[in-house]
Amino acid sequence: MNWLEMILVALDGIWVNKLRSSLTVLGIIIGVASVILVLTLGRGGQSKIMNELESMGSNVFVVYVNQPEDGDYNKYKITSEECKIMRESIEGIKALTPMAYASPQVQSRRKKENCMIIGTESCYNQITNIPMVKGRFINQNDDAAARKVIVINQKMSDDLFGVGGDALGQVITVDQTPVMICGIFKNGSGMLEGAPRAMAYMPINTFLSMFPYSGVYELDGSAETKEQVEKVAQRVLKSLEIRHDAVGKKAYMVFNMEQELQSANNVMSIITMIISAIAGISLLVGGIGVMNIMLVSVTERTREIGIRMAIGAKRTDIMIQFLIEAVVLSLLGGVIGVMLGLGGGAIVCLLAKIPFTVSIGIVLLAFIFSSVVGIFFGMYPANRAAKLDPIEALRYE
Amino acid sequence: MIEIRDLGKTYNTGAITLEALKNVNLDIEAGEFVAIMGPSGSGKSTLMNIIGCLDRPSVGTYSLDGKDISSLDENELAVIRNQKIGFVFQTFNLLPRLNAMRNVELPMVYAGVDPVTRRQKASEALDRVGILDHAKHRPNELSGGQRQRVAVARALVNSPRLILADEPTGNLDSKSGAEVMALFDELHAQGSAIVLVTHDPEIGAHAERIIRFRDGEQVKNN
Ligand SMILES: Nc1ncnc2c1ncn2[C@@H]1O[C@H](COP(=O)(O)OP(=O)(O)OP(=O)(O)O)[C@@H](O)[C@H]1O
Ligand SMILES: [Mg+2]
Repeated sequence: MNWLEMILVALDGIWVNKLRSSLTVLGIIIGVASVILVLTLGRGGQSKIMNELESMGSNVFVVYVNQPEDGDYNKYKITSEECKIMRESIEGIKALTPMAYASPQVQSRRKKENCMIIGTESCYNQITNIPMVKGRFINQNDDAAARKVIVINQKMSDDLFGVGGDALGQVITVDQTPVMICGIFKNGSGMLEGAPRAMAYMPINTFLSMFPYSGVYELDGSAETKEQVEKVAQRVLKSLEIRHDAVGKKAYMVFNMEQELQSANNVMSIITMIISAIAGISLLVGGIGVMNIMLVSVTERTREIGIRMAIGAKRTDIMIQFLIEAVVLSLLGGVIGVMLGLGGGAIVCLLAKIPFTVSIGIVLLAFIFSSVVGIFFGMYPANRAAKLDPIEALRYE
Repeated sequence: MIEIRDLGKTYNTGAITLEALKNVNLDIEAGEFVAIMGPSGSGKSTLMNIIGCLDRPSVGTYSLDGKDISSLDENELAVIRNQKIGFVFQTFNLLPRLNAMRNVELPMVYAGVDPVTRRQKASEALDRVGILDHAKHRPNELSGGQRQRVAVARALVNSPRLILADEPTGNLDSKSGAEVMALFDELHAQGSAIVLVTHDPEIGAHAERIIRFRDGEQVKNN
């Protein structure tokens, strides 16, 4: 008996009990669909996050003041001179810049709003790429002379001067101090950032003179190479601890992208593991369902088995018939599961704006998995069918 | 063709052992038409199952074409059932989900005949029993007589040299029964050996020889 025929016979058997068959394979459908969905989203999400973190620079690190034990933030405040000394003296460092944050009111002739302003130095765009739309980023002369200039993002330009308005070279006031717009940069488009908000950069010394009560509690830097990040960051940390008499006080902390990538990956693999476990259980339940329904089917068709044996079917023929039926049933569940999983994946990827890719490997794996479930759970019922005594089977009512 | 020596069959049902067949000695020649008759429970079906290689004797030997059946394994028995023997049952035993054509094709499926030849031979067999125009009908769309003809077509399609029929007319009215018996006569005329179980003396009269059973034993008078 050839394979195609046996598969057709199996499909016929499945088709006769459409409802029963589809309920039976539901477990397998859910299992396979969720695996496919999660793996598809996982792949898309991972590559998206990787790209984003990668674009921020994986040789980037941040050293910041962490809640000091004595609560005296002022003591651990960092000056831009200190930053400059460290930048010039620490080995393997490519860039290091002070970072200070404020949310003042800014005002153009048209409009006023609150925005986030970051005080930093010109070398910040060596650490993070800031794509300019117009004008320029802060330069060294701005740093040195504490010029009253500001680099704003597109959102802020749109807010203050209207969409298409020309902001470059205009003067706006930041907390009543007039500053000149010297550059406009693109809104961030990262998944991690959400809707764009108005934000701007100013030279750190200008910033500090405008916001005397603020201060530098964070240094952003980058190392020459990815491998050096951890070491360089530790050197900066040590240097700060010595300067501020903070050794052993945990006043400063290091954060680097490499770690961030690691933990993003870890979160991803934990989620994948959990869903895979759920999918595994679902497949198991599905498999037991297949086994159960195959046992019912064997009992229902006892007489058929007897007839087939009487006219010359070998035990292996009967065995293979039921095994194929189990495999076709599970594989059918697998196919539907793959289609649902990929369909769902495509929709979610589209909505979440992450790249949708179909991995042939994953799809194949799903098919192999569901066939294995079919073989494994079909074995017992098929064996039972094959072991029937032909006379008993023929006499079965 | 068939050689049965000192054959017995006992069933163990709980405490009692039941001797369904005792000390059976029987020879059937190739091409012979034999009827087996006897009261209910006398062991006729039991004997037929053994002759048909569906069951094995408890004692004694059964040789088919000179081969001792007890020396064969299950797969070899399956091949014998497929190639040398055609079964016709009282209850037809067609597969309900397959149409007449596909029911008749089934023995050839297990014989590994290719689909084209299979279809052709099945059509011929259906034609021979005069039911080719119902080839696409399922068993439940056929009358009892028509079903039994399909069953006969299935039994003869692999050209077996021995046809076993256990009360083939038991579920048929006399007219359909006579039609089915005409088919057996024809098969016999073409050289097949036929062993037929019946309660009906009129049916038994079609045979060349009648073997009578009572309580599992042959009644020795002819
Ligand atoms: N599987 C079995 N287990 C126990 N006893 C059995 C079994 N099969 C048959 N028998 C017994 O063996 C005896 C012979 O049965 P068999 O079916 O051969 O009778 P039969 O001559 O064909 O009767 P009928 O004319 O009613 O078909 C009966 O007493 C029956 O109860
Ligand atoms: Mg009987």
